[in-house]
Parts: sequence; structure tokens; C-alpha cells
Amino acid sequence: MKKDDDFMPKILTFLCNWCSYAGADLAGTSRLKYPTSIIPIRVMCSSRVDPLFILKGYLNGADGVLLTGCHPGDCHYQSGNYHTRRRFAVLKKIFENLGLEHERLRLSWISASEGQKYAKITTEFTQKIKELGKNSTGTEIFL
Amino acid sequence: MTKVLTINQSVEMGIREFLKFLLDKSKVKGVFTLKKLNKGGDVAYSLITRSDELKDTVPFFPLMPINAGKLLSRFTMNGATSEPVAVVLKPCELRAFIELVKLEQGFLENIMFISATCGGVYPLNMVHDGTIDKNLSQYWTAIKKEEIPPNLRPACKACTEFIPYNTDMTINLVGNKTLDSQCEIFIESKKGEELAKDKDIKKKYSEKESKKKNLDNFRGKREAEKKKIFDEITPKLTGMDGLINIFGKCIGCHGCSKVCPICYCKLCEFESSDSEYGPSHYESELRRRGAVRVPPNTLYYHLGRLSHIAISCVGCGSCEDVCPVDIPLSIIFKKIGESVQHMFEYIPGKSITEKIPLTTFKEKELTEIEK
Amino acid sequence: MNNSSDSSEDKGVVIQVKNTQKETVNDFLKKAMEQGVFDAVLISMKVPAGDSFAYVLLTDKELLKDTFPLPPIMSVQGAKAISSITRRGKGNKKIAAIMRPCEIRATVELTKLGQIDLDNIVLISMDCFGVMPTPSFIKDPEKSLKKFEDAIRIEDDTVMRPVCRICDKSSMVAGDLHIGTRGVQKDAFFIVSNTKKGKDILDKLGLISNKNIDTWLAKVKENAKEKQKKRKQAHKDLQSSIKNLDKFLDTFSHCINCHNCMRACPICCCRVCYFDSDKMKHPSDDYLRIAKSKGSIRFLPDTTIFHIGRMVHMSLSCVSCGSCEDACPMSIPVAQLFSMTADETQGLFDYIAGKSLEEPLPLTTFIKEELSEVEDVHD
Repeated sequence: MKKDDDFMPKILTFLCNWCSYAGADLAGTSRLKYPTSIIPIRVMCSSRVDPLFILKGYLNGADGVLLTGCHPGDCHYQSGNYHTRRRFAVLKKIFENLGLEHERLRLSWISASEGQKYAKITTEFTQKIKELGKNSTGTEIFL
Repeated sequence: MTKVLTINQSVEMGIREFLKFLLDKSKVKGVFTLKKLNKGGDVAYSLITRSDELKDTVPFFPLMPINAGKLLSRFTMNGATSEPVAVVLKPCELRAFIELVKLEQGFLENIMFISATCGGVYPLNMVHDGTIDKNLSQYWTAIKKEEIPPNLRPACKACTEFIPYNTDMTINLVGNKTLDSQCEIFIESKKGEELAKDKDIKKKYSEKESKKKNLDNFRGKREAEKKKIFDEITPKLTGMDGLINIFGKCIGCHGCSKVCPICYCKLCEFESSDSEYGPSHYESELRRRGAVRVPPNTLYYHLGRLSHIAISCVGCGSCEDVCPVDIPLSIIFKKIGESVQHMFEYIPGKSITEKIPLTTFKEKELTEIEK
Repeated sequence: MNNSSDSSEDKGVVIQVKNTQKETVNDFLKKAMEQGVFDAVLISMKVPAGDSFAYVLLTDKELLKDTFPLPPIMSVQGAKAISSITRRGKGNKKIAAIMRPCEIRATVELTKLGQIDLDNIVLISMDCFGVMPTPSFIKDPEKSLKKFEDAIRIEDDTVMRPVCRICDKSSMVAGDLHIGTRGVQKDAFFIVSNTKKGKDILDKLGLISNKNIDTWLAKVKENAKEKQKKRKQAHKDLQSSIKNLDKFLDTFSHCINCHNCMRACPICCCRVCYFDSDKMKHPSDDYLRIAKSKGSIRFLPDTTIFHIGRMVHMSLSCVSCGSCEDACPMSIPVAQLFSMTADETQGLFDYIAGKSLEEPLPLTTFIKEELSEVEDVHD
């Protein structure tokens, strides 16, 4: 099982500019420890994330995709994250029905003050992805 | 009880005569329906303005050359017609058009919708391999008996939305034993009722109140067939390997998206420069995989299309009809589509006022998704 | 080295076949990759389900053993694959592309149309015996593959697509290297170079073009002559079957406007086709007005203008590859019609699509003294 311990997943993480990115920033400035597996992408709002972005990340071999945004009701653009939630739920349902590993997709709300939560979620998710192992799409030829 | 206009002729003759009457009396200025093009038996949607051209129409011909919803969108995307037009189309085509109107790709104004309970249609390849005539004879016998005719498209066999929504007039085909002698037109909307009140119509057609046929039995048969067809595909939907096996033979013609009524984008994401790989992208792919399929993005295209349109997919089956390599697209899209539509108890095209789920939200819902 | 490209065709390299021709070609490529002559190879491969073939760009040499240099179907026209790789620029890898002559010819046309950058590509064609229609192949891939292999062995083209049966350019050398399998002993094939690039590669591999290739040339000539006769006849028959307007319209009456033919066509490279653009989308009242003037119009009314328009746009570059017909869900003989038209329009300028990179596209150039016979024709 040594091998599994060596495996550091690549987790594509979308961070909304107003809450989650600031939350991640706080985690950093508070010197909280979280895994190096996170590949952050800052977006203005979680609703900017077309399901295609997640799909593309997944098909290009991202071991996990984490989508983060403001808590419901706190969206800088009033309702962006409510739309995000529906879209994400639909994409996850599609994954489930196609037998794809929907566990590799995760949606979390992280506010600007939740550096702790950011560290906790990224650690948890990384652990879970480690258990799932490498995403096979990264080496498929006929995608 | 619903108001019914009765014409004492076969359904085919009756509807033709009714359309002729509408045109001749200027109740409508155009009729949009299926028409035989030539002796060869080709059938295509046509816009007819002169009543003598109606003699070649075959409004309920069991074939869908293109989803009429898509055509109506093309017809009205730059504005509603200024004159009334009667349109005869299938329930799924009407549902597709309603979705397109909600997506701001067409207008309902000035269109009189005439639809029918639909027994399903045959695959398009029957037109060119010439087997359609042979099948046609058994089609109507089966429909009268409330049975699913053999050799229909899988999407139709598995369709449980065969009763039209949002019509102005409906004709009952399924389980109708008097197809050859009587044409009953059920009035379904205010628009329809206003037309029925017209003195010319009152003079010409007898009106009565009648009950619509209960089609639960037929629905049961379709449900059973759907379950069978879904059960066949489910074991193949086993993640990446399964999907590569299903979609591996795709030739990338994108015909499925071109005929899909819901795919309305002018320039599809998957045909845009965003989806092209530049040289460095190819090189990084090669470093990682050792090889890459060219052109790339076969699965990305199909899954991406699924994620974009599943919520509005009406299961019309056009995608599968045009696929040159017989990928069972219609069943996959129907199955996935229904599963996501079910999350919001949404039936695409059922109501014009109900918003498409992805364009709206409820504050308290789906909280379990964040975990 | 001072030989002109013409005379270099007179001599060739003979490669001994070990086991099968396919394996030998793959070995040749592997060797070239090992020696760093190519960094990557673009070649056909069976898809995992085994029911079709797809182009794959590979750098992993081990994969070469599974490749299929001349697959039984043309699922994607090779020129489209090369365009996908180089449309955005040429990159740093030297890529060998193994394709059929018509795919290479389409590649040449696309290069002239600015859709391909050939700098780092080596085009290797092979003698082609035709391909089967994709729709019928996928009905039973295993059986079809066997049928295809049997047909090739006895050079029987009846199972091939109609346009392949009348293809007179199935050994045309338009790329850098060509693998000739016609008119040779079963245990060998020829490699001939057509360009300096091709010659350099043979040199690098230590292969010397000194073998007589007359048997190949003779067989190629014989085949071309026979096919030319068939082609003329087929085109004549087709022409008489669509002589009047009604018959012509009937040919396209199945068409459902899906535009699959256009998107499968290697030459149709516009991002947004004119016939899919807003130019073809009219206000509803315009449609109604047109309908009123005729009593009835087919909807959409664009079928005929689409097909003839496409002929106008691309027939001078049409290589008769047959992809359009393969992709047509209504089995309209599009490829046969287009190849007939292409022969006629290309004939006006003595142009053969994809024959040479240097020859400009006829519509991008002109000669002052020409075509006077089309001016002021009143009869």
C-alpha cells in the first residue's frame, strides 16, 4: 500500500472570487496546512463554471474536481450560486447514470472567513480521492 | 368532456378537408404539414398556401424527416408571422418547439397547433431501403388496436409522452377504431374554441361533447417497452470503458447536434476554436497518453452535449435517425434526460410558463449536494 | 541528389515482407521512429470496441503493433485529422502520416487553403484498393473485416463503395513517400519517394532507391486505365439519370438538411458554413410570401441551393473520397454526384485536386487569355 501513499492527486478547484478565493487566501495567511493536490482556478462566480469545464477537467485526467462558492444567500451576484447548485446536481446525476465516478466531483460552500473550512474540505477531499486512486481518463487514448 | 368537431370521412381525408376549409375561408393563411414530394414517396414538411396543394399532404405519416419543432424555430426565430398559420405536428415536435420558445428561439403567436395522439414513427432509413410501404399497412392496424407497431424507432417504442400538450386541436389516433370512417377533432384551447365558434365552421361541421379516450392501457405497454429498452442499455453504461465502447465508432460528423431541436447554438462549442487543440496541447497529450485520437474530443462532445441539453431533451429520436454509425443516442439521451428532468419534476415542453429548471432555482433545495 | 523529382519515381526501394504487409509497414515506421526520423505517427487504429477505426497520433512505439495502415473504412477523412493537428500551427514534432492517396490529396488541397501546415509532416500514401461503406461495415464489423481482407487478396472491388470502384487515382503519389503494393511479389513492396523530403528520409534510413519499379508502374497504369473507363461510364450513366430538373431534384428529395455531408467533407473547412449562417435564416413572413408565390414550399426550402452551392464552393478541390456519402443518413449518392461534377469543373482548368502543392487553386488565379467561350453565350 506504499504506492497509494505516494499518490498525490490533482484536484482541479474552482474558487469564486468573492468568498471561496478569499477563504483559501485566509487559510494560507493563517498558515493552515492543506494538501498540495489543489490546482486553483479563480472565477468571478461559481456560476461562471460551465459544466463543460468540470467535464473537461475530468476527461483530461483531473483526479478530482472541486467547485466552491459563497454560501446560499451570500452570492455577490444575488443568485449565482443557486444556479451553480442546480447545474452541478444535473452534472452529477449524469455522471451517476453513465456509471462514471461521480465521487470525484464535489461542490462546497466556503465563505471568506472560512479558512478553516477550506483547509478541512481540501484535506478531506484529497483523502477521499486518494482512496479512489488515479483517474483512468488521464491515460485513455480513445476519449 | 371536450368539444369535438366531427367530419364524416377517414381521418386522413378529414384532416385534409379541414385544412382546406381553413385555407379557403382564410381562417389561416398557411398550413405547415408533411407532404408527399414525388411519386417516390419522399415526405417532407411543407408550408402550403394554396388549398389544391393540400391533396398530397399526409399529416400523420409515421415518419419524422426533421423535428418540426426545429423547423418552426427556423420559421419564427426572427419574429412571429403576421398572419395565422396552422401547423400539424407530433407531440414531441410540439414539445421541442415549446422548449425552443422558452429558449427564445421562436414565437408561438399566430400559430394554430393541430396534433394527435402519436403511435410512433419509423426510422428514416426505411425511406431509402424501401421497406416503409411494407410496414405502413400494419402500422394503422396496430394503432387501431392500441398496439405498438413493430419496427418503430426505439425512441418511439419507449415514448410515454404520446398525448400532445399545448395543442389547439387534437385528433385521437391511438386506439381509434373509426379511423377509416370518421375524423374527430377535439378542441383543446381558447384559440381552438374561438375558431370553433366561427359561423363558417358552425355551419359546416357538427359539434358535440365527447370524452377523450383513456389510453392508460397503451401507456402501460409503452412503459413496459421503455423498461425493456432501458434495461438493455443500462449494463453498457458502465463508466469510461462502457462509454468508449459505445461512442468509439463516432465519426465526428456532429449530425446528432445539427438535427437536435434543443441544440440551437449558432456555433457549437465543440466546433469552435475553443475545442481545437493547438500544437502544444497535442504535445502535452502525447507526453501523458503516448497517443491521442485525432480529431480529439469524441467523448467530450457527447457528454458535453448531454450536460447541455439533457434537461430539455424531448426524446424525439432525431439524433439516432441521422447517426451514420448507429450509436444508440436516442435511448442514452432519453434515459439520462429523464433522470435529470425527474429531479425537478420537469417534463420538457409540457408547459410554456414553467421555467426550464436550469434557468431558475429554489432557495431551499438540493442541500444534500453539498457534502 | 541532383535528380529531379520526376526521375526519382523511376526507381524505388524494395522492402521484404515479413509475416504480413501490415506488420512490415508498422516495422518500417517503428524503425524510423527509433532512428529519430519521425517523432510521431498519425495512423489508423481499431477502436477499443473493435467495431470501427480511428486516426491516432502516437509517440508510443509499442502501439504501432496495433495499427491498421489501410483500414477497411474511412471513418474520418485523413486530411481532417492532419488539419486538426496543424490548423493552429505546426508544433515541434516531426509527424509521419500514413494515409490513402485521396486523403493525401485532400491534405494537399487543405494546405493550399491554409488549413494545414505541412512543414513538420511527412505524407506517406499507400496503394489503395478502396474502402467499404461505413454504414454497412458497422452492421457486422467482424464479418465485414474478413470480407474486406478477402476482397483485397483477390482484388475484387465489388464490396467497396461506389466511388472507390471508379477511382482512377488509387495509386496517385501526391505526398512525400508512397508504398506501392500493386504489381509486386507477395513477399515485397516498393517505397518510392516523390519529394526531396521523402528522399531525405529514405537516405536517413539508409534505404537506397535503386530498384526497378516498372512492374508497379505498369500495374498502376493498367489499373488507372481500367478505372478511368469505368469512371467515364458511371458518370455518363449518372448524368443521364439526372438529366432534367425534376430528376435532379428527385435525387436530393430524401435530403433532410442535416448537412452531415458538408461536415464529413475534408474540403468544406469553413467554421460556420454559409448555409448554416444567418444569411439563410429569413423572417417568417418572407417564408410565407415565397410559399404564396408558389402555392407550397418545402420547409426548409434550402435543399437544392445547399447542394449546388456546396458544389460551387468545393468541387474544384473535391478528391472524390466518398466521405460525404458515408455520412449521409439517407443514402443519397452525394459522392458520386460530386465526383462527376468535380471531374467536369476541374477539367476546365486541367486541374487535378491534390496532385501538386505548387499548382495554385484554379479560383485563386487566372490567365488573361482563357475561357472566352463562356462570354456572351446567348443560345
